[in-house]
Order: sequence, then structure tokens, then C-alpha cells
Amino acid sequence: MARWLAKLQHIDRRWLYLATFVLVLVPFIVKVPMPPGRASPTTRGIYETIESCPPDKVVLVDSSWHHGSAAENYSQFEAVIRHLCLRRVKFVVTSVGIEPIAPEVAQKVIEPIADEAGYVYGRDWVNAGYLAAGAPGAAASPLGIIIEGVCRDFHKFYPSDTHGTPMEKLPLMANVHSIEDVHMAFCVTYCPDPNWIQVVQGQFGVPVGFACMTIMAPQYYPYIDSGQLCGMIIGNTGAAEYEYLVDYPARGTDLTMASSFGNCCIILAAIIGNIGLWAGRKERKAES
Amino acid sequence: MTRSITRLIAILGGLYFLLEFVIPARMPSWLGGFENPLSPSLPDVASVVQVLSAMVFLLGPIHLARHHISAIIHKRENWVGSIVFLVSLLVTIVAMGGRGLTGDAAPKAAANFQLAFDVMYWGVVFGFGASSMALLAFYLVSAAYRAFRLTNLDAAVMMAAAVVVLLGMAPVGDWITLWLPEAGQFRFWARKILEVPNTAVQRAVLIGGAAGGFAAGMRLWLGIGKRGD
Repeated sequence: MARWLAKLQHIDRRWLYLATFVLVLVPFIVKVPMPPGRASPTTRGIYETIESCPPDKVVLVDSSWHHGSAAENYSQFEAVIRHLCLRRVKFVVTSVGIEPIAPEVAQKVIEPIADEAGYVYGRDWVNAGYLAAGAPGAAASPLGIIIEGVCRDFHKFYPSDTHGTPMEKLPLMANVHSIEDVHMAFCVTYCPDPNWIQVVQGQFGVPVGFACMTIMAPQYYPYIDSGQLCGMIIGNTGAAEYEYLVDYPARGTDLTMASSFGNCCIILAAIIGNIGLWAGRKERKAES
Repeated sequence: MTRSITRLIAILGGLYFLLEFVIPARMPSWLGGFENPLSPSLPDVASVVQVLSAMVFLLGPIHLARHHISAIIHKRENWVGSIVFLVSLLVTIVAMGGRGLTGDAAPKAAANFQLAFDVMYWGVVFGFGASSMALLAFYLVSAAYRAFRLTNLDAAVMMAAAVVVLLGMAPVGDWITLWLPEAGQFRFWARKILEVPNTAVQRAVLIGGAAGGFAAGMRLWLGIGKRGD
């Protein structure tokens, strides 16, 4: 038995890859339901803040994600935009400082959802576009200064939207001049910049929410604990939870099942590797 | 002379941002009750910073193009890849520029440029980017199989925490333990791990990073170089 188990530590990695591929594929073929009632406090925080948005204010959505993090940011962004449309909350989309292609990606995701909800561009939502702010995360990144500038005078930094239409020609923007007209700032990207918290929440007292990749989430827990972040959507699981709250299962729900199966693969691989190690040691001891 | 001017700009700039941040939006009445005099000019200063930072975008393509042109001329290893890069760069730049064409014949031309851009970005880059990300799953499984070995207590604690978080942060954990009382669920313990030990560690990292950032900022601000000049 030990000899047979010892072989487990020499499995060709291609078999592991095949097993992972097959297991991750299962939820796309067989519909696996989400467990009932699942929504973490971090996800609920974003949902409840949007729910409390007054009609005279907008939600500022900073969409700075692109193909690199689409695996998780896509479903998060889609879920929140759908919620905004269902709740009839007007929103302005920006892409400050990280990814120049982000406004184009955002436009592609928002358009079908907005059309379905009867949202009119310029009246109910605006894609303000990209704003250069140097290299994000660098020690001397001016992102915080740019964010503060946008908060103080939106039209100065965004004289036109991403399509080149002057802001004064967009009816929604007649009521949006500074952060005082914003109910909440919500940032979706691989790893949202804490400058949003320091400036928007710290200086202006406007709630800030993040949506990030699962692996980046642990670094934001101190801000959740201190109340500086009103909530956080973590990976596809967070997106699935959000879809549960909005009662509109979509991409996040499908993908979180695949993530679940992927997590199981990782745990099983570690268990198999350790059984092989243990059996190998036992076999060597018996031989000596 | 040039160095002195650069230092002066750095000192004045640093002083402006420091004071603008530190001085309250409105001073208390016993101090005069006046508003922060530096804040109104911040959007203008930020515009200057934005223009400067936008210049960074030119440096990347210029350096990359020089590197790849040199690789093609000298036929260095993988020089064919350099051709692919330069062609892709050129097509994307032309396609992006062409989308904004105006004039009589513009709609058809702009539609063709849009098609070229869609093929490059949505057809190639988006697929490659998502695939690269998806490959991580396979590497993680392979790494867990080969490297995650329970050889001592530290490794066992780490593995236990990893298993609880992996199961608790995904619906699979609920399928296993949802029938138990809350204190027995993976979801509960995953949250505890993230909210208590993880938060403490992240705070320590933040404080350490902030102290390092402060030291680096002071060196930059006061122009203190490595040689003490």
C-alpha cells in the first residue's frame, strides 16, 4: 500500500493540468447552484451604500481595468453597473491614471446593460474617459494630486467625455461639478489605489468602495476595519454575492463556481503531494 | 546651476503639497477662521502635474521601438518577435488614430480602422491577457502539489489557514459546512483569519511602508543624494 501511495509524489504535472482543466470546466457544463443567502459584509457594504444614493447625486465609478484582470473585474463591474441601472442611479465613469484602454472596455460592458434598462447616454450616465496620472503605485505617483484635482473641479480635468463631446453638452454633467455632487466613489481594477481612500474619503468624507482581484483583497482589510472603505467586492465570489443581492445571477455566479472547483484542485493537489511524501518516507524507513 | 533650480522646484513643490494637505480646509475661529489659501490653486497645480506625467507615455513606446529596431538590425535572438511587436504597434497606433477621422469619406474609413482596432485589441490582446491570467490556475495546482509540503509546524499552520480561506471564500466551503452552526462554518473562520491576523499584518506592512516612504520622500524633497551632495 505504502509503495503504491509513494507513487503519488511522482505524478506527471500534465495529469494535474488535465484534471484541473476538466474540473474547472464542470460548472460551465453542469449548472451548479449558489448556496442560499451568501453575501459577505464587505459586499453588502457596497450594495447598501448604492441603495442609499439620493436622486440628486451620482455614483462615480472609476473603471481602470482591462484584459489583464478581466477574469474577475468584468463580472464585478457588470454586477454593479446592473445594480445602478436597476436602482435608477445616475453614474459617471472615469479611468484615472492606470489604463488608457479602460474607458473603451467600460463602454463595451455598460452599453448593453444601459440599453436594456433604458438608460440614455449623457442624461443618465457618462463615460468621462481616461486621465493620465503617471505610473500608478510608484513612490512619486501623482495619482493622489490628480484625484484631488478631479474632486475639486471635475470639468477642469474633464472638459469633454471619452467621445470628445464637451461636458456642457451632456445634461447629466450640468449637475456634476465636484465631489460634493457625488454620493460614492467606486473603483474597479486589479489593485485599486489607496489614494482614493486618502483623498475622497479622508479629505472629502465621501464613501469609497473597491472591487479588486481576490489575491489583492487582504491588503485592504485594515481600511474595512477602520471604516475608511464602505465595502469591497472580492473577486468573482464577491461578484456572485452582488448578483445574489441584486437578484440577477450572471457571469460572476458562473465564474465563482469555476473558482470553487479550482480551489478544490489546489487543495487536492497539496493533499496528494503530502500523502505521496508521507508514504515515500515510510517506504524508505521500511527498506532501511 | 541646473541642479540648484531642480532642487528649488522640488523644495517649493514639496512644501506646497505638504502645507496644502496639512492645513485644515477651514481654520478654527480662534486662529482667524480663514480657509486654506492653497486649496483653490490645487486643480491648476494638478493640471501641470498631469501634463508632466502624460509625457511618461511617450518614453515607453520610444524605448521599446528603439530596442526592437536594434534587435532586428543586428538579428539578435528572437528578432522575428521584434518584427511582430513593431507591426502590432504600428497597426494599433494607425487604427486608433484613424477611428477619429472626419470628412466626407470618413465614416467608411473610420469603420475600417475601428475593425482593425477591434481585431487587434478584442480579438488578440484581450484573449491573450485573459489566457495568461487563466494559466495561473494550472501553475498554482502544480506548485501546491510540489511545494506545499507539511515538513514542520509552520507549514502545517500555513496550510490549515490556506485551506480554510480557500474554502471559506468560495461557495464550495458553504456546501460543506452550511448545515453547521455559524462558528463551525468555513466562511466564519475565513473571515476571522482575514479580519484579525491578516489585518494586523497588513497594518504592520502599511506602517513600515509609510515610514520608508516618508524617509524616501524627505530625501527627495531635501535633495539628499547617496553621496550626501
